[in-house]
Amino acid sequence: MSLFLHYLSLPYLLEGIEVTLQVTALGLAGGLMLGLILAWMQLSRFRWLSGIARGYTVIFRGTPLILQMVFAYDALPHIGIKLPAIAAAGLALACNEAPFIAEMLRAGVLGVDRGQVTAGQALGMTPSVLMRRVIAPQAIRTMIPAFGNEAVSALKNSSLASVIAVQELTLRSTQLASSTFDFFSIFFASGLLYLVLTGAVGVIQLALEWLLDLDRASRGRKFADYLPYLLPWRRADLATKLELTEKTAPAVAADAAMQPEIPVPPSRRLTREDRTKRAATIARNNVAVEVKQLRKRYGAQTVLDGLDMTVRVGEVVALLGPSGSGKSTLLRCVNHLENWDSGTVRVGGRRLGFQDLGFQDDGKPLTPRAIANERASVGVGMVFQQFNLFGHLTARENVAGPLRWVHGLTKIDADRRANELLDRVGLSHRADALPRHLSGGQQQRVAIARALAPNPSVLLLDEPTSALDPELVNEVLEVIRRLAVDDGLTMIISTHQIRFADEVADRVAFLSGGTIIEEGPAHEVLSNPRNPVTARFLSVMETDKAPEAVR
Amino acid sequence: MHKWLGGEARRASLPWRRAVLGAVVAAGFVTTGFLATIGAAQAAPAACAALQAKYPDWKGKTLVNAINPHTPGYEAIDPKDPSKYVGFDIDLGEEIGECLGFKLTYKAVTFAALLTTLASGQADIVISDIYATEERAKAADFITYSKVFDGVLVAKGNPKKITGINTSMCGAAAAENTGFVEVPLVQALIPQCKAEGKPEPTLQLYDNNANCIQAILAGRADTYVNDVNTVDNAVKANPATLEKAIAVTIPYSVGIAVPKDKPKFREAVMAVMMEIYKSGDQAALLKKWELDPNNLKEPGLLTVN
Repeated sequence: MSLFLHYLSLPYLLEGIEVTLQVTALGLAGGLMLGLILAWMQLSRFRWLSGIARGYTVIFRGTPLILQMVFAYDALPHIGIKLPAIAAAGLALACNEAPFIAEMLRAGVLGVDRGQVTAGQALGMTPSVLMRRVIAPQAIRTMIPAFGNEAVSALKNSSLASVIAVQELTLRSTQLASSTFDFFSIFFASGLLYLVLTGAVGVIQLALEWLLDLDRASRGRKFADYLPYLLPWRRADLATKLELTEKTAPAVAADAAMQPEIPVPPSRRLTREDRTKRAATIARNNVAVEVKQLRKRYGAQTVLDGLDMTVRVGEVVALLGPSGSGKSTLLRCVNHLENWDSGTVRVGGRRLGFQDLGFQDDGKPLTPRAIANERASVGVGMVFQQFNLFGHLTARENVAGPLRWVHGLTKIDADRRANELLDRVGLSHRADALPRHLSGGQQQRVAIARALAPNPSVLLLDEPTSALDPELVNEVLEVIRRLAVDDGLTMIISTHQIRFADEVADRVAFLSGGTIIEEGPAHEVLSNPRNPVTARFLSVMETDKAPEAVR
Repeated sequence: MHKWLGGEARRASLPWRRAVLGAVVAAGFVTTGFLATIGAAQAAPAACAALQAKYPDWKGKTLVNAINPHTPGYEAIDPKDPSKYVGFDIDLGEEIGECLGFKLTYKAVTFAALLTTLASGQADIVISDIYATEERAKAADFITYSKVFDGVLVAKGNPKKITGINTSMCGAAAAENTGFVEVPLVQALIPQCKAEGKPEPTLQLYDNNANCIQAILAGRADTYVNDVNTVDNAVKANPATLEKAIAVTIPYSVGIAVPKDKPKFREAVMAVMMEIYKSGDQAALLKKWELDPNNLKEPGLLTVN
């Protein structure tokens, strides 16, 4: 025991820790840099880049670290690169860690909800803004435990540097054992030293998890709540504690009940005369969206089959039709979230997919960055079925963030605009809440506020109420109704809410098989469909509720 | 008076300590103020001054000595101060350095990596109780300086009745270090054992002495054949559990390995070794480290093209 304590405090071994940490730090830092490059290459849309990255991964993940160490130390000098031993060990460790770190990064990036990425694109974010503001902040949170593992494994793997004369902890321990014959005392001591180091990594990991915990501020989680993760016998204890914190937090359901109802002034309901007047006004307006002969296929399946559609400024068009009839794809084309095979899409007179300069398409697709800029300048807002709010941002930031990142507003202006819009959708009291603490209806209202923030010329709504519980549908529909009636916003809504379409839409277009098979004034088409397919669809949808008579 | 008898250990990290080669030489030879601060009446002998004049290329340089520091008596860290390496080979290297005017730093590698480290240029010289064989001479040139006597380490009482590297090892498990010359010698027993209808000996390969000795202590191996002094040291450290079955002569010499592409360096080291041998310093070093005086041998060259 006294020998054990002697070796535990021996400066010779403690100095070895320093070398061990140097090699580990070089390995992790280098591995992170290389891993970032590798992950970027693997996620790249250029095949040759991802091919090179895959080749690297195969080689460096598939060969033992000990060989890589010997290679960096003994083979590189033959081509004139003579690194000091610690640097050679750090290089080998970095090259070895890189593919593992790259896979972690890739998994983290791909793990971020695709819907949020689409929402970011729809808001006109360029790929780099999207990565920095939406993907990375969320991916990093999920990657911390994996990083902790990787750091511990790198720390232990650094012991292999002993084969290339790096005087780290393991090499010092074996040398000491050889000269003193105190084999076990020495290895128990060095084992304990390694445990202390890996334990420290564990604490750092938990501290980071705590710092990045989105609930830290709102739920008052303390670092002390995390520490028991290090102690296996207290795990159960922790679970109950965290559960308690969850319970004491304001319950979403209760909160939803408390929210102010959005009153619907009856006078806003449109009468037949209103409708006629409205139709006459709209007919004189400019064309907002013009789709001509749009065709798109996914492999053998034709999704859009020469579709034509014109939407005028201030007009509200409801797209109806069975699933797979092309409604969503059409909306995604209008926002250029999808490319199409042939045909044209014009928004506000500007033809999408073509450079501003006006010359003819040279056949090359625009870069994602150019498309993003196009979206931002054309001004098409989009609301999704699954809300797709940015999960790591508060309601206010969901609205204000894109205004700053895409449209260059100052923080003050962006926040003012966000507050104003949240007020309009009746959520100013929830501005600081994270999406996951909001009900579905509240989330969709925030999503609408976010889409409205840059003052779009057209708002696209892709089945905005389909993912909502029935009791939450009305609060969202009411917001949309007001946008149509009060604000005169141009909207294209794909929906299954026949009654809502009847009330709000100026026109309905019925899609089937990628074309519009019937369209016309909403009430007319919904009450007297001419096309048998439309009639059948409507009768199925409306078996229990006929379109409400317009007063 | 020999410097060695003063028992000055060399720092692994701060190798430079002035020492003196040969017998006491009259004052009047070149003495620097620096030398005077370290020890009285220390001066480079005339022979070294002449050698430095003839081989000036390494004067003032710092060279790297690759060692496998797991052999107490030859090269191991100092248990009292683990920042230093001590042993016969360490002293010998320092003395060569002093004579030619260079300092040494140490690079600890596994035994099997000694010559690759030299060949890759990561080290300039290897003085690490390595036996000079024709096979190894393909990778480096050797200046031989010591005869080889091997000891056969076994568990106390020699339960397997091993009497040397012969058919008494049939069916036994031998622990050896990767790259040791004893490895092929044990392998050569396999056909002999077969011819006598006995089970083959098995080999366990480790990468340092401590692991080989632990293999016997743990009952995994029956024997470990290595330099007799190493074996004696192991028995000294574990008198209740280990013993030396026998000492055997191995037809090799211990050698200093130098790069094949530096004949001038080989020539210089060889010349210094002749001086050290002739002056009696080598014998004194053996005595200092309690090694068998019979190891003493006139330096020779082993090169293979």
